[in-house]
Amino acid sequence: MFLGRVVGTVWSTVKWPKAAGLKLLIVRPYRLGDLAPGEKPTAAGERPSEPVDDLVVCADALDAGAGDDVVVAFGHAARVALSQTLAPGQKPEVPIDAAVVAVVDRVSVAHGQL
Amino acid sequence: MRGTVVGQVWATRQAAGLDGRKLVLVAARDVDGRATGRVVVAIDTLEAADGQDVTVAFGSGARNVLRAGPDNRDLLCDAAVAALVEGAG
Repeated sequence: MFLGRVVGTVWSTVKWPKAAGLKLLIVRPYRLGDLAPGEKPTAAGERPSEPVDDLVVCADALDAGAGDDVVVAFGHAARVALSQTLAPGQKPEVPIDAAVVAVVDRVSVAHGQL
Repeated sequence: MRGTVVGQVWATRQAAGLDGRKLVLVAARDVDGRATGRVVVAIDTLEAADGQDVTVAFGSGARNVLRAGPDNRDLLCDAAVAALVEGAG
């Protein structure tokens, strides 16, 4: 899983039938420099405060919106989360590999831990 | 993945499978022990404190941390703290 901020929405008219009606969000992952500005990664080529990671498109059944901080799960865990919300008791057979699993209330970051 | 716990995440609006789970932020370290900048969210059942060096398992390995398989595909878990690290060389 990763922590990220919702920065947009994706509309799609052609979707696999089992994914029809699913809301798709664009999420930008937080990096260490975003969470703890004093903690600079030292690996060569890292620019901590810029969005160096790819944006992630993920399904959302928790009604998150732009500006929300969310936790996104990948793989089978993403499909389990969606099936719990959309089709309880059924096998998680949706063609989705990333989903919002939590809309974050609060994040604590311990400074000086690196 | 090897990393260090740098924080915690709380949410009330979440998928049912996460209820009661403690979610920690883990900053990844590279082979030389330096922070890479990447941060993951992992389920923590080992009571890892801030600053604790840990290993994080992903995928089915993460589910096995919560409940040994093979019948654990109902779990909502793709990352879990698998070990508290005391030293690395």
